[in-house]
Amino acid sequence: MLMRIAWRNVWRNKGRSGVVIGAMIVGIWALAFGGGFMRSFLLSYIQSSIRFETSNGQIHHPEFTIDQDIKFTINDQESILAHLRNQKSIENICSRSIVNGMIASSRQATGVRIVGIDPIEESHVTQLDSLVFDGEYFSSNTSNTLLIGERLAEKLKVKVKSKVVLTFQDVNGNITAGRFRVAGILHAASIVINESSAYVRKEDINRLLGIEGYVHEIAYTTVEGTDDQALADQLKNDFPSEKTESWEELSPALVFMQQMMGATLKILIVIIMTALAFGIVNTMLMAVLERIRELGVLMALGMRRTRVFLMIMIETLLLSVAGGPLGLAAGYITIFYLGKRGIDLTEYSAGLEAIGYESILYPSLNLNDYIQIGIGVVLTAMLASLYPAWKATRYNPAEAIHSL
Amino acid sequence: MATLIKATQVSKIYHKTVVPVHALNKVDLSIEEGEFTAIVGPSGCGKTTLLNILGGLDHPTSGKVEITGIDITNMKDSDLIDFRLQNIGFVFQAYNLIPVLTAVENVEFIMLLQRKDKKERIARAYELLEKMSMLDKADNRPGELSGGQQQRVAVARALASKPRFILADEPTANLDSASTANLLDLMAQINKEQKATFVFSTHDQRVMDKAKRLVTLLDGSIVSDITR
Repeated sequence: MLMRIAWRNVWRNKGRSGVVIGAMIVGIWALAFGGGFMRSFLLSYIQSSIRFETSNGQIHHPEFTIDQDIKFTINDQESILAHLRNQKSIENICSRSIVNGMIASSRQATGVRIVGIDPIEESHVTQLDSLVFDGEYFSSNTSNTLLIGERLAEKLKVKVKSKVVLTFQDVNGNITAGRFRVAGILHAASIVINESSAYVRKEDINRLLGIEGYVHEIAYTTVEGTDDQALADQLKNDFPSEKTESWEELSPALVFMQQMMGATLKILIVIIMTALAFGIVNTMLMAVLERIRELGVLMALGMRRTRVFLMIMIETLLLSVAGGPLGLAAGYITIFYLGKRGIDLTEYSAGLEAIGYESILYPSLNLNDYIQIGIGVVLTAMLASLYPAWKATRYNPAEAIHSL
Repeated sequence: MATLIKATQVSKIYHKTVVPVHALNKVDLSIEEGEFTAIVGPSGCGKTTLLNILGGLDHPTSGKVEITGIDITNMKDSDLIDFRLQNIGFVFQAYNLIPVLTAVENVEFIMLLQRKDKKERIARAYELLEKMSMLDKADNRPGELSGGQQQRVAVARALASKPRFILADEPTANLDSASTANLLDLMAQINKEQKATFVFSTHDQRVMDKAKRLVTLLDGSIVSDITR
């Protein structure tokens, strides 16, 4: 009967209940959308960084990560590569030679990170080939070609087929230079790729460096759902003489960013929940104040104060139960639709790409997020109804019965 | 007959204004089982205050109230609620039915609070509504009933818990003559047939005419007590 009374009380003032339910729907929707958007923003950046910069994990000579001296090549790379290929959670592997040097065109010169790659392996790991927007990816029969980012090309004032000179120290400390032709220009959200990297064939650079057959870096991607840190920890044990790092260790800034986003989302949740809570307190307080006489009668007839308290709580719970699923459904539909179609931020693409973001974001939320939002809203509603429910029990029945 | 209600030296002073209001002044009153008593007097004489105190809805400033020998004056709030539920039926001037419940649910509600079996609740609710000639309106909500009909449902609700006595505060104040006569006849019949004890507060002459005992209050004191 208490449930029946509470349910009917909810619908006594359809307009007011509608407003509360509407506020809940908007609140939940805003949380779902805000959460999904921020998540996509973060994931876009992390995925972009993992894909083009760090991969899911990397292996180096321990000294190489400190001063990047080219003599610190990976020992016994073949057995490491063979071991990695046997790991079920590892999807693709590539190895690289890396040297810092200068790149010079006929007009300009600048510092650059020269990355020697195997074009096929690299295309599997970083999909570098997909970033070529002008020219072509390494053709099979031409040596001494390179790929550079759009910004770097602009800086050097070079185009496809332009010649550039790479200058660096070889393994013996001698200054060495090589002439390369620009095969393609890359367009990427990553600042590292766009502004400060030059990709050449591994055998071309190794020949000039005098480290033929050696590499400085092995990068791998993992299958979806892999715990990258756990895998890196396992590989650390497998290759104790090398330094294995997960993307989180390679780029602590990404982890910090993830934490910052998490904190921002929490602040957003608190703001929305607080607004919702005030709305509920206000509405339920109105509902109580309008029914002082009725509450007095209930207590006069023999309804205990705890039951009166419970009745108001149930009324709020019923409002939440009515508004919660609708809000979650609205949030799910929005996220589902935008998750497929994407949010086009091309208008801001220049700014976004400058800081490493994609210009189309695909919001997403997992089931856990929806559950947490739903529970959060119901809990907020229940907490917000504590005061009105308490207030309802404070009336003196004799006075309440004679109130207007 | 046994004493059902005994008020001894009951005073009530309200301190809600700068000057304290003496609503009741050392009232002594005994009501026996089966009485049909009207507490009468002009507005503001203390009728409702006395009824509230006798019904355990309010506490006296001083004095003592005993119901069937149990002192309810200093009873704990939660105990008092249970005591009211098991022993006292209320009929209010403004009917005060629960607007979201139908007539039969309103009558059933109080038995639900008493945790009575559903079958028993429903059977008794319909039986009482039939007695009040309200069976055809059993599924109507208060808003769909006239004042007289609502008050008859309220009486059925008051009787539903099988209380020791029924307190009715100006039960006919909002009713027309026909509804008043009808209601009074019903209550008099119940009093006669079931020996149910009724205590009214009223300044309605029609109620006074039906009452077997008239207790007159003036300025918070009993000035006359006539049994007819």
